[in-house]
Amino acid sequence: MRKGHLTMRQKNIILNCIAILIAAIFLFPIYWIIINSFKLDGEIFASVPTLWPKEVTLQAYKDQIANLASPLKNSVIIAFGSMALSLCFSIPAGYGLARFKIKGSKFFILIFLVTQMLPASLVLTPLFLIFSKLGMLNTYFAPILSTATISIPFTILLLRPNFLNMPKELEDSALIDGCNPFTSFIRIAIPISKPAVITGACFSFVMAWNDLAYSMTFNTKATMRPMTAAIYNFMNQYGTKWNSIMAYGVLLILPTCIIFVTMQKHIVSGLVSGSVKG
Amino acid sequence: MNSKREKRERVMGYCFILPAVVYMLIFIGYPIVYNWIISFQDVTATTLGSSARDFLGFDNYRAVFGDPTFPRAVKQTFFYTIFCLIFQFVLGFLFAMFFSKNFSFSKPIRGFIVISWMLPITVTALVFKFMFAEGNGIINTILLELHLIKEPIGWLIQEKTAMWGLIIANSWVGIPFNMLLLTTGLNNISTDVYEAASIDGANVFQRFARITLPLLKPTIMSVLVLGFVYTFKVFDLVYVMTGGGPVDATEVMSTYSYKLSFQLFHFGEGAAVANVLFVCLFLVALLYLKTISKDEVI
Amino acid sequence: MKRKIAILLTVAMGIASLAACGGDGDKTSGGESDKGQASTSGGNEEATRDGKKEITFWHYMSEDKEGKYVMEAVDEFNNSQDEIYVNAQYLPREELMKQYSIGVVSGELPDCGMVDNPDHNSYASMGVFEDITDLYDSWDEADFLEGSLNSCKYEDKLYGIPWGNNCLGLFYDKDMLEAAGVEVPTTWSELEAACEQLSKDDVKGLAISAIGNEEGTFQFMPWLLSAGGDINNLSSDSSKEAVTYLKNLMDKGYIGKECVNWTQADAEKQFASGQAAMMINGPWQFSGLKDDAPDKNYGVAKVPKADDGDYASVLGGENVAICKGADVESSWTFLTYMTNKENSPKICKEIGRFSPRADVDVQEMFKDDPLNSVFADLMPQAQSRGPSPKWPEISAAIYTAEQEVFTGQKDVDTAMADAQAKVDGINESLK
Repeated sequence: MRKGHLTMRQKNIILNCIAILIAAIFLFPIYWIIINSFKLDGEIFASVPTLWPKEVTLQAYKDQIANLASPLKNSVIIAFGSMALSLCFSIPAGYGLARFKIKGSKFFILIFLVTQMLPASLVLTPLFLIFSKLGMLNTYFAPILSTATISIPFTILLLRPNFLNMPKELEDSALIDGCNPFTSFIRIAIPISKPAVITGACFSFVMAWNDLAYSMTFNTKATMRPMTAAIYNFMNQYGTKWNSIMAYGVLLILPTCIIFVTMQKHIVSGLVSGSVKG
Repeated sequence: MNSKREKRERVMGYCFILPAVVYMLIFIGYPIVYNWIISFQDVTATTLGSSARDFLGFDNYRAVFGDPTFPRAVKQTFFYTIFCLIFQFVLGFLFAMFFSKNFSFSKPIRGFIVISWMLPITVTALVFKFMFAEGNGIINTILLELHLIKEPIGWLIQEKTAMWGLIIANSWVGIPFNMLLLTTGLNNISTDVYEAASIDGANVFQRFARITLPLLKPTIMSVLVLGFVYTFKVFDLVYVMTGGGPVDATEVMSTYSYKLSFQLFHFGEGAAVANVLFVCLFLVALLYLKTISKDEVI
Repeated sequence: MKRKIAILLTVAMGIASLAACGGDGDKTSGGESDKGQASTSGGNEEATRDGKKEITFWHYMSEDKEGKYVMEAVDEFNNSQDEIYVNAQYLPREELMKQYSIGVVSGELPDCGMVDNPDHNSYASMGVFEDITDLYDSWDEADFLEGSLNSCKYEDKLYGIPWGNNCLGLFYDKDMLEAAGVEVPTTWSELEAACEQLSKDDVKGLAISAIGNEEGTFQFMPWLLSAGGDINNLSSDSSKEAVTYLKNLMDKGYIGKECVNWTQADAEKQFASGQAAMMINGPWQFSGLKDDAPDKNYGVAKVPKADDGDYASVLGGENVAICKGADVESSWTFLTYMTNKENSPKICKEIGRFSPRADVDVQEMFKDDPLNSVFADLMPQAQSRGPSPKWPEISAAIYTAEQEVFTGQKDVDTAMADAQAKVDGINESLK
């Protein structure tokens, strides 16, 4: 018995070591982004890359400060705008699909599942022509409206199971207390589902923040570009200044990483339900 | 009374759901229809502004099918998708099996790995481009150091290797996704089944082949179909890492469509390519819907 | 019934308020957008625009290099008079060219802008630019080199003014050449021999740009022309010789394979950081080299010639033009200020270009400058690309063939034959 217990412990240690090794190898690219952003030009151009900078410097960030302000601002506006828009549509829809018995709810769920699978490149050309006719190219509207199409179906599918699991009694008693379904949605359902709603908000934010295709196509003016498009353009001009490119990259992954680390548990489970569950 | 209440409920339900449905119809549904219209019209930079565009019939499709790049892009899209699927599924499965073992760091580390799926593809593409660089890329340095290669490989700049570079980068993004879905599937298998099997004297491989795989089949189907769709529609990764190059060695349908529309301004032809992509995805989506309606597992 | 309506109304209001909250987000973003545009409109804050007519000017001189001097010149213009305020905006070259194509219809064109001279003809044919023949004829300082002026013409009408010329040369690191005991190469065989001595594990002999855009074609042209090749006869033995030669240097490890992704700015970074002992590049890199490698001891020579050929150089440079539907009068005032006899040589010198004016003697101007004089001497023989309204497509055929060979997708014979077939098709379509 004692021997068995020991081997369990040993097994635990060995498995943990393997797991850490896997994680270290797997997450190396992220380390590589961060570490290279602190290198000087000379070290970046050296023919043998160094695993740790000889001299840790913020030079690459300083070089980019002037170019960063406007893309950063654009990214923030687009991501928050898209998030707000997406939540306005997806929270009620997720709630509606979970709470009300209606004909065709299965069909609606399928619609959201399928639209989620469609690629941006499919609607890029028509949306570009539509936005150009409406004079909406090079405004914040075009990327906000288009990136919300990625997050709305995802967030609906993510929120629906949550509203389904909510105890119905709470709402019923609210209805008796004189709430109509709409006020009970606002006062009861949303507050109870706060974690799920926040998870949905995070996903919506990240999806818009990460977008390149829509923003790059609709906002061609340099002053209206978000970070993803700006970093791409920078790479086209200075394809070998990897320290500057990676400095941009660090700033781009920063919000994602912060959200991820603080909300890891919700994100991981939300990912599963948002992308598959009907 | 009861039917009245039901009716009311239905109306309420639609009020909650319809805004989102209408939004998606306007910004996804209508563009898809419009895309078909464009693909039959003469839409280029010079005709973009005019309201009356010439109807071309199948000219755009003819032009696209006649371009040697198109069949290449189709072939490469499938090649890319299939190999990405194999890599990310096999590794994702191994990861899922490994991390479903009971040890203290299993959950936190599994959770951490998922971050690669969340990062902006633009940054992922850039860092892989950097790591695959011929002259001073870390991958070549390591391979040289281990004496696995004699001279640096121009990963993304040689025709033969460029696609593999993309496949590796995409698998890095896709592995956690596969892992998570498969983990969910694995967790749903009751441990009793395994215990019964081990009493029967089945070894690890027998248990895997006879119990795990059959029970996981519906999950595996969804994972593969979803993986196919997400990989097939790839744009950002290819666009940033190779831009479809060298020449068009890594051109896939989405980048080819983008190039036609937004670099050459042949919008009609770009739309035609996008429609071919749409048809391919639609068929796969149908397959997916059929599988999930058959067994509501995931 | 009443209750039903009441519920419907509540929901509608609720949704409206939700939509309004979304709308609020958009509204603030719209406001931000205006602010953003105002704050990023060029680095020339000190000049006021109150009461002045504002015009926009697009250029592609990178902000951290030559662009600084363009900005200075624009500021000077803004301060020199109180009629016009020029808002200069930088866009990378590829981006700028794309914007012209799309701008014709989207209406997002500036008042005036810069255009790479081989592409000028094509944009003029698309209707991007205003015909300024009459304005030019009535200008008392209208005196430009014929080759440069020709690149602004389309069907005998003038659509722009030459802004600055340049061409390519061989930059070499004097210290590295000395250490390897190598003389400055003048022929292809000498260049290959020099590369052999100079290339080590971590240093390449030569850096070039073979990227898949106009820069790639521009860099390839001197080799093609020196070998006796011709863009209308790409499948000839002489044309193939040029590609074969470069491919050979690459196979031997003298030229980095990454050059298919390198812009000329990237080639400069390789040279500046000592990763390449020599590079093919132009005079506009002088200011960048000064910043990146202030202590570098380097010289410039002509691009080596084929063993049985002559030195060849290709005319590079920019023209400026007025866009369709723009404020022609103000733009003309601004553009003639930038290109007049007094300012043209000054601005060109600062941005590493040579004045395209016939009344400026660049050879005389740079006779004591060992670096610039090499380019100044090459200028008169420099051959122009095109002019052809389909130059961008011809250029695509050329750089694609080069890339196909360099990345191992086609052998030289096939690649060049395919390129020639494309060029034939393009020429046919022009008839």
